[in-house]
Amino acid sequence: MPVVTFPIPQWEESLTLFCVILTGLIVVCAGSLAYFRYVRMERPPVGTFNTRDVVILLIFIGILPFVYGWLPDPFVTCVLAVTFASALYIGYRPLLGSVGIWLAIGLLFGLNIWSSHYVMGTIPGWQLWYTEQSIVVGLSAIAVCNLYLQGGMKLRHVAWLSLGLAAYDILFASYYPLTGRLIARYITHPLTPVMGMRFGEVDYAVGLGDLLVYSLFFVAAYKAYGARAARIAAVVIVVMGGFATAFIPFLFNFTNANLDILIPAQSLFGPVAFVTYLWMKRHYGRERTMAEYLASQGGTAAAPQVEQAPAPQPASI
Amino acid sequence: MFETGVRQFRLALGIATGRRIDPRNVERLVGDVLATLAEFGAAGADAAELVEGPTANPQDRLEFTNSSLRRTAKRLAAQSPFYARHFSSAQIDPAKLDVAGLRAIPVTVKADLTERPGDFRCTDTPAYLATRSTGTTGRPTEVWLSRYEMELWPALGALASVLRGELRPGDVMQVNLSSRSTVAVHQAANACRLAGAGCRPLGIVAPEAALDGLADGGATILLTNPSYLAELITAARRAGLGASDFRLRRLVVGGEVLSASLARAAARTFGVQLVEDPYSMTEIVPISGRPCSQGHMHHDTNLGLTELVDLDTGEPAAAGALGTLVITPYFPYRDCTPVFRYDTRDVARCLPDTPLGCELASVPATSLILGKADHLLRIPGREVVTPRQLMEAIEALPAEPWPARYRAAACDGRIRLTLPASAIAGYGQAEAVRHFAAAGLDVDLDIVGDDQAVSLRHTRSDMHETTFASPHALVGA
Repeated sequence: MPVVTFPIPQWEESLTLFCVILTGLIVVCAGSLAYFRYVRMERPPVGTFNTRDVVILLIFIGILPFVYGWLPDPFVTCVLAVTFASALYIGYRPLLGSVGIWLAIGLLFGLNIWSSHYVMGTIPGWQLWYTEQSIVVGLSAIAVCNLYLQGGMKLRHVAWLSLGLAAYDILFASYYPLTGRLIARYITHPLTPVMGMRFGEVDYAVGLGDLLVYSLFFVAAYKAYGARAARIAAVVIVVMGGFATAFIPFLFNFTNANLDILIPAQSLFGPVAFVTYLWMKRHYGRERTMAEYLASQGGTAAAPQVEQAPAPQPASI
Repeated sequence: MFETGVRQFRLALGIATGRRIDPRNVERLVGDVLATLAEFGAAGADAAELVEGPTANPQDRLEFTNSSLRRTAKRLAAQSPFYARHFSSAQIDPAKLDVAGLRAIPVTVKADLTERPGDFRCTDTPAYLATRSTGTTGRPTEVWLSRYEMELWPALGALASVLRGELRPGDVMQVNLSSRSTVAVHQAANACRLAGAGCRPLGIVAPEAALDGLADGGATILLTNPSYLAELITAARRAGLGASDFRLRRLVVGGEVLSASLARAAARTFGVQLVEDPYSMTEIVPISGRPCSQGHMHHDTNLGLTELVDLDTGEPAAAGALGTLVITPYFPYRDCTPVFRYDTRDVARCLPDTPLGCELASVPATSLILGKADHLLRIPGREVVTPRQLMEAIEALPAEPWPARYRAAACDGRIRLTLPASAIAGYGQAEAVRHFAAAGLDVDLDIVGDDQAVSLRHTRSDMHETTFASPHALVGA
């Protein structure tokens, strides 16, 4: 017999949402930092993240909601499965090996698909689904964050990405609420890209994209300028990404703080993150490269491979 | 990162399909490598494949070679008047050509190229720049190159160089090669441009002027010929300059045999760990060979095919035997005046048929270049004497007579070796004969005056280019 729940005061909803977001932030940011410090991903022989990659990412993110909106749900699930599987495989193969990671992906996805079909309808069912969902999303965010940062993404890129996403969020959450409609349509399906929990009849969640940007900003600040900059970034994330996002409905007296209302978190976080980056750049100077970061950690960046040379060849005879 | 992936894919596709490669794409990849090195300090784990190619597996390499040969031969049959006749007279079907059937095609010799250079030019490719061999071993050969080639080669060279750390932003490369070596100079200058390095093409000027560039000019890389390097060492010692006066990190020579004693002296004088001695030749650019730490010469398998052909039989040289390098640059790397099975007359020894243990073991190798086939000394009942053997022994004399000036001939079962008097100065003729005997050379010495030294053997350093600023100065024996 389902437990009947009642609406709770809005401040309590906001506080609960803040706690959920904070939990997600702590798990993903701390996980990303730990991964960044202790695990080295394989990277392609040539190539480093640059400004054009930020533009490509923003274009991709801009197009994706339309693709999701156009595709039938089973196809969306397939696309998400490929995306999550890729992220998890790239991120955790160095830790679990090829066999281990495929077993883990199979287990996580299987449980997710099963729970999406068989445990919904009760609060504990939702909570189990959210827990399982959050594990997949959290692990994926940590992996993608490190894929970008260990691939050479700098704080400058993250700041511009945040600013771009702020505009994106305002457009797609407020003026053209496609994101909200997509979430509302897809929320009970497997591999929904949110991390959250249900308490009573209310869903509290934070999107994968938001978590990814927060963790990128946090770890990129650490890589660029060290622990002190990371602490400043953490404050910005908690205040703008967590507190402001959670309490906006309360402050502006939204009548329905359920997930029916999508709060454009990046529109709050992006500009502040960008200004913070400008301040750090002015205050701390040039960002450290990955090689400089590794050298500062006591490891040494691999020296360029030097072999004997054909170089520009002299002609003979 | 996304763009780099696309560029790498385009390059790989060009290599695999044999279509013309976009030089701009390779140039941008060089920029990507520089950005990667700036961020990470080193390229990623599989970077070597970008340079060495994915052809370490012998079976894959054979398939790659066969398809490259067919592609090149088909184009030559259609576009090169010389090779249309050449293949036709040998009754070769280019579409069915493979490595095993290659021997049916007679080698192309230097005389073919010097007598009928126009017949070698492909009819579908406009010529852009001519380059000439220096003619130290005979009539110079002129080879025309297309704009595509002159853009592609520096780009590919720069890509390999920056990936291997041989060329870095901030380097200054001083080029002391003949100004007529247009390809080498052009390639060096453009590779430097792409790598963010500086280039100082000086030519074969007075050694003092070159030393100014090396010391005060802050050169970090020197590209020259061994004979000119010898002049530089002599001039540096005379001026009291030593390793601490130079910033060189690489010293690259080519075009002549480099002796071990000269290499050691150069490393000591200029403060480098080793003198790099790659193999190349005007007629067969962009194919090159790289020496390894164990003294093998490893031949590029991605841009062309190098065969070692027995000097007497024309068949593949057996293990331990001497052979001449016969080289075929593949299309699309050679475009305007291509050659097919070009007999370089550069002699090397076939290595024993056992696996190599050096750092370039996956790349086919021969011995180092031992000299020109026409300069081998054949003495009945004895092993053939190579120019390298003679040069190693002469340049190891205590008088350090660099570059070696000598004339050698077989006479009554012995070697008649003519040297200038300065070569054995303070040593005595009998002692010198014992020195050569210790090197396995049974010689009769013929000593001539130093004024005849240059006429005994021409070297590239003889082609001095004068300037108003510095006097014409010949240094050395």
